[in-house]
This record gives sequence, C-alpha cells and structure tokens, in this order.
Amino acid sequence: MYALISIASGVASGLIGFYVGVGLTALVRVAFGHSPWDAQISITVGYIFGLVGWLMGIGMWGAWGREWFGLPTYARKAPGWQRYFVFNSDHKVIGIQYLVTFVVVFLLAGLLAMVMRAELAQAGNQFLSNDQYNAVMGLHGILMIAVAVAAVIGGIGNYAVPLMIGAQDMAFPRLNALTYWLNPPVALLLLLTPALGGLETGWTAYPPLSVLTENAQLLFNLAIITFGLTSILGGLNFIATIIFLRAPGMTWGRLPIFVWSMFVASWLALLFTQGFAAALLMVLLDRAFGMSFFNAEAGGDPLLYQHVFWFYSHPAVYIMVVPGFGLALELITHFSRKPLFAYKYAVGGLLGILGLSGLVWAHHMFTSGMPNYLHGPFLALTEAISIPTGLIFLSALGTLFMGRLWLKTPMLFAMAVIFNFALGGVTGIFLADVPTDIHLHDTYFVVAHFHYTIVGGEIFALFGAIYYYFPKMTGRMYNETLGKLHFWWMFLGFNVTFFLMHWPGILGMNRRIADYPSSLEGVNLIISIAAFALGASFLVFVYNMVVSWVRGPVAEANPWRARTLEWQTSSPPPIENFPAPPVVRGHPYEYGVPGAVHAIVPTPMPGGAPAGGAK
Amino acid sequence: MARHIVNIVVIWVVLTVLGALVLTLDYLPVIGAEYSEEFDGIFRLLAFMGLPVLTFVFAWVGYSFFAFRQRTGESEGPAWWGRNWVPIAWLAVTASLAITVMIYPGLTGLAKLQADPRGYGWGETGADLVVKVTGFRWSWAFEYPEQGITVNAVQGRELVLPVDATVRFEVNSTDVVHSFWIPAFRMKIDAIPGRTTYMVVKPVATGSYAEDQAFRAQCAELCGLDHSKMVLPVRVVEREEFEAWVQQMKAQ
Ligand SMILES: [Cu+2]
Ligand SMILES: [Cu+2]
Repeated sequence: MYALISIASGVASGLIGFYVGVGLTALVRVAFGHSPWDAQISITVGYIFGLVGWLMGIGMWGAWGREWFGLPTYARKAPGWQRYFVFNSDHKVIGIQYLVTFVVVFLLAGLLAMVMRAELAQAGNQFLSNDQYNAVMGLHGILMIAVAVAAVIGGIGNYAVPLMIGAQDMAFPRLNALTYWLNPPVALLLLLTPALGGLETGWTAYPPLSVLTENAQLLFNLAIITFGLTSILGGLNFIATIIFLRAPGMTWGRLPIFVWSMFVASWLALLFTQGFAAALLMVLLDRAFGMSFFNAEAGGDPLLYQHVFWFYSHPAVYIMVVPGFGLALELITHFSRKPLFAYKYAVGGLLGILGLSGLVWAHHMFTSGMPNYLHGPFLALTEAISIPTGLIFLSALGTLFMGRLWLKTPMLFAMAVIFNFALGGVTGIFLADVPTDIHLHDTYFVVAHFHYTIVGGEIFALFGAIYYYFPKMTGRMYNETLGKLHFWWMFLGFNVTFFLMHWPGILGMNRRIADYPSSLEGVNLIISIAAFALGASFLVFVYNMVVSWVRGPVAEANPWRARTLEWQTSSPPPIENFPAPPVVRGHPYEYGVPGAVHAIVPTPMPGGAPAGGAK
Repeated sequence: MARHIVNIVVIWVVLTVLGALVLTLDYLPVIGAEYSEEFDGIFRLLAFMGLPVLTFVFAWVGYSFFAFRQRTGESEGPAWWGRNWVPIAWLAVTASLAITVMIYPGLTGLAKLQADPRGYGWGETGADLVVKVTGFRWSWAFEYPEQGITVNAVQGRELVLPVDATVRFEVNSTDVVHSFWIPAFRMKIDAIPGRTTYMVVKPVATGSYAEDQAFRAQCAELCGLDHSKMVLPVRVVEREEFEAWVQQMKAQ
C-alpha cells in the first residue's frame, strides 16, 4: 500500500508536470504564431517539467521541498520491503535499490544481446530487419553502459562505503535519494525509444546522423543528460563522504582499497561526465533549434562532437573499471587471508589512472581524419596508462602468492577479474597502436576487447561483490554450490564467446551490423552458441538470489571473517550502522599479524532482522 | 617459496610456448597491399610481445588457485606488505615494457604510416592514380578524375584498381560520417561531411571479392539503417586489364 501510494503519486505528478510543460510550450508557440506542437521542443520542455513533477511526487516534496517554504518536512513511512519503493535516504536502502534496479536492467540488456547473437548466428538477415537490429543493438549498448556506470558505484558503493569508513550515512543523504530516483525516468525514456523509431546511432550517437534521425534520439539525449546528472551528484556525494565522514583514526593510509577506488571513480565522474552531457546537449540544440554545431554546410564540424564525447567516454571506462579493480583487490586480500600486497603502490596506481585518463581520449579517433600530429601523443599517453594499471596487477598477484586462498564464490569472481583483464589489457595495446588500430578500429576485435575489460573486469567484480555482500544486505546466506556453478558457467561462457570474437574482427567483420560476409559464418555460429550458454548462466544466479533472499539460512554478522568495518556490525546493520562511532586503530588488512586490531567497534545492537524475519 | 616460484616459471614457459604455437597459425586476412604486410608484421610482433605478459598472469593466478587453497578459511597467510624492492622492480620492468612498445613498433610505425602529412600513406606520398571516394547513405561513389569515369552501385558496381600502382583516395561524405575500409589493405579512414581525408595504398596482388571477401569497400562507421549493406566489391587487376576496364566504362 505504502509502496503503491509512493509510486502512484510520483507517476501522477510526473504526468501532470509533462502536460503542464507541453501546454506552456504550446501557449508560447501560438503566441508567436507557430503551431502548438513541435516534437523536439514540446517533448523536451514537457520532460523537464515532468521530471520535476515525478521527483516531487515520489517524496522529494515531503522530505525536502517543504523546507524551502519553511514547512516541516516528513518522510514517507514504509515497513519491510516497501521501504525500497519510497524516497528513502538510508544509504543501505539506496544501495539495494540501485543494485536490484541495475541487475534487472543488466538481465534485460543481456536478453537484447541474445537477440543480436541469434541474428548474427548466420549471415544475411534472418528475423530482424536492419533498423530493428540497430534499435536492439543501440539499446543493448546504452543500457549496459548505464549498468556499468551505476551498478557498482550506485549499488555496492552506496551500500558499502559509509559502512567501511565507519560513517552513519552518506554526507548528503537526501541528495543520495534524489540521485537514485532520477534513474527510473532514464530507464523509461530508453525503453520507449523503440516506440519512436528506435535508436539508429548506437550509444555513441555521432552527428550528423544523430541530428537527422527519428525522435527516439531525442529521448536518448534527454535520458543521458539526466543520467549524467545522477553520476555527477553521486560523485560529489562520495567525495564529500570520504573526505569528511571517516571514523576517528581512519586515515588515508588505512582506507580500504575499495573506498580508494570509489574516491578515484567519483572524481572521474565529477570531472568528466559533463562532456557527455554537453555533447548530447549540443545534438539536442542542433535538432530542436538548428544550431548547426555539427552541420558542416552551416560552418559546424562533426569532429567537434567526437572530441567532446570521448573526453568523457574514455574516462568513463575507468569510472566503470576502477571500482571493479577496488572490489577485486578487496576480495582477494580478505579471501587470501593476507595483507594487501603493496597497498601504497595500488593506491598510487589508482591515482595514476585518475591523472592519465583525461589525456587519452583521441585514441578512439585514430581513423577519424583528425590532424596527423595528434596521433603520436595520444598513442604514447594511452600506452603509458598500462603502467599504473600494472600496479593493480602487482598488488593482486603479490597478495595471492603464498596466501591461504579460501575459494568461496566471491573469491572466484575476484580472481577471474585479474585473469580476464589481463587479456583485455593486452588487446588494448593493439588498439592504442595506430598502425594496427587503423585496421582493427570499429571491428569485432574492439567489441571483444571492451567486453573483456568492462564485463571481464567490472561485471565479474560486481557479481563477486553481490555474493560477498549478500549476507550483509539480506541477513541470509546464498547457496554456495549454486554460486560456484554460476561462476564456472559464466566464466567459461564468457571466455569462449569473447575470446573467439577477436578473430572475425581481425578477418574483417565490422561492428554494429545485422549482416556480414558469408565467409565469416562458421565462427559466428560458435560465438552465438557460446553466448547463449553465457546468457543461461544468469538463470542460476537469479534462482539462487531469489530463493536465498526469501528462505536462505540466517547469516552471521561476519561470515567471511573479514576485518573491515562493515563486517563488525550486525547483518543487516541497524539503521545508524554502528551503535556509536567506531575508533580505528590499525590497518584493515593485517591478516597474519597476531593481535592486530583494525578498529574498536561498540557491541553491535540487535539491529535489523534478516529479510522475511528471523527463523 | 623458491619451489613455488620455480613451478610458476615452468608453467609460464609452457603456456608461452603453447601460445606461440597458436600465434604461428595463419589467422590474418589475405594480403592485398604492400602495407598489409607492415600491418601483419606489427600485429604479430605485438602478439608475441603481449603473450608472455598474458601467460605470466594466467600462470600466476592458475597456480595460486591450485597450490595455495584452504578449505576452512581459518588459517592466515604470512603478513607480507610488499614494502621492499619488489614493487620497485615491478614498476621498472612494466614501465620499460610500456615505453618499448610505445617507441617500437608504436611511434616508429606511426612515422612510417604518416609519411603523407595529410593522411595515411605507409611511406607513400605521390600517386599514380587518384580516386575520389564519396560516401552517402548507404553506398559509395568512386570518381576517377584523370580517367573521367565514375562508378557506383548502379554503374560498374565495383572499385577496380591496377596492381602495383600507388592509389590516393580522397574521401568525402555528403551526409553523415562513414568510414572507408578495405580489409585486404588493412586501412580505413572516415568519410566526414565538410572535409577531405586521405589514404594512400599500393595494391601488390590481384584479387577480387569473388575470390576473397576481404576485397571489399566496407563502411565501418555506423551510419544508420543500411550500414551493414554499405559494401561494394573491390577488384585489383593487371595494368592492361585496368585500361580495358576504363575504356569499357567510358563507352557506357
Ligand atoms: Cu578509450
Ligand atoms: Cu556505415
């Protein structure tokens, strides 16, 4: 009931806002002698009003907006599972909201990939027309980008970072809730794109094509500008939280490595996201008002977009993968029962990536016709980024060596991150090197490469973290056998699919195509079969998660005997995380050190009950 | 400890040898231009340089998985922090590897590729033949200004080039961004509205799309609806055959 009221009032005031915006646009247009409706302008203005209406209706008005008019604020009450459907400012609730939302989006976008692989199993068009294929491919791309940007940062980051640094919540809890509730409109807009002609440009939305295409592009632009806002606000919130809310004694040198990685990723999000938003805003202005930023005939330049776009979108891969590194190192040290090897070098590696990632964007543009003198510096800087990345490997491999590896499901995923990313890193050299890139650019070699880095690096870390935090989040334990089954199934499916995919790329199969030369048929059929196997592995995951959440065995507070703070409170933690602020005394990774103490934590309160009540 | 290091090194060497055997297989497309060989050489070199890095990580992670496992999670490993020479040595080795690859084959290869300051040329700047390429949704038009002929999807239906002649492509687009790519030549350059881009190629072997599908002018940049169908066959022929083809096209 509470959940229904919350969502319904959000939707209702969102719709009212939309119609108010469309109406106002019509009034102004009629007053100046135009027709009342112009798709670009009316939808844009309607969306802005609708977005504000949705946010106010979902609970921002009660919890925040009333304050602006001197009225007392209130929070919507909702018991049990219904708390996930209201404007809730508890970082643990928001973390789970993010995680569940984006796992659902991940599965949906994965289904789209299955559709694409079915079409690509044979040459020629079997059951998708070219425009349907483009729509499916574009939607798969942008939904997965959203998952990669938001699932680890918004989900695991929100849940774990305040706990790990001994804070009660994020620095700006209401802003955090706002950040989450900006996401449903983004999802809605993207899922509506097939109804308005489908995306034709892929997620990169290069003009002039993106200026000329169907109105699906407009929804895409509005969605991404909104999504960019969530990234920027989230980044700001994490930076403030990590700087100001660390428990006494939690010095920078004692910060868990995942928190460091979140700090770096948040700076990247804060500094670079506006590039993507600005690029798409310019496309929007070109579409709505004929501003001609990218229209060569009117003095614009299509290459301008590519520079602005990649200025964000290269750092974006580090926004995705750096928290993945952080999680992998975090899990590897806990499950190797050994201190994190060369901790300071690993932190230095993360900071090195932060420093270099803004200086390599044009490696996506080696064939774009940009001036020749730009190729050398971007080649060199791109290859230089392998040096700080190498430090992450040093830390991981050094920690594994002579460890006491406790091979639980989360550890398997973390080790797979190192394994997969090694291949993703090596193939990256072929793309950073201009002479090889001019053949390989925009082929399936690139598709294989970035799936190795983003899926192999980040999404594997995400699943490891989901298993790792499952007992903390739900108070219940997942099924270990099914967890391991999911891991091996996914690991094999993933590696067969994407390792083979390099080859058609080398032979001359370009990406983003519904059809390809018939000589490439055999290998594509094998890739498709492996991809279906990969897709099927998630059925095991979903079954395990759902069943364990409802009736898994009750978990201990610290089933992993981990030393970091989030495990020193009950599972799930009480609303204020710790009964009193913990006092940090030592490093979080002092495994094998007799009598080592990370922190003095007051005795956990009975706190939260496991999901569905205690057994 | 030394025993574990020795074991990892043995596995590393074995994996590297096996990988090197795989890399000697013929996995590259047909060689259509002089510069396809340059590409293939650099590709193979990078593959052989990357292989030991990759197998090092695989050997280390794989060996740890089997050799260092425990069942209960109760025992703890040695408290090593890595505050010694190891990270410095690691940094030195990885940095010198990165800088090596950056210089050779990276920047040296680039210098050769960019001998023509306007575009790609692999050491070639002049041209025996100029072909003006125009991309449009969703096909190509090839104009031979010196020969006074134009071919496209209706007329001629293929790009014909003489063997052993240096061809300069001057690439344009009339609508959106396309990318002009011939896989057999290992070169592509984007076709951008409002500016001309250049690519110089010297075909060294005769061949055609009918024999090998790497001989095709493929659009490589997503350009909307029929992007995947934006293909025209390429045929590389002997000089005399080319002249005859030009005459035949003129007659039409
Ligand atoms: Cu990049
Ligand atoms: Cu195209």
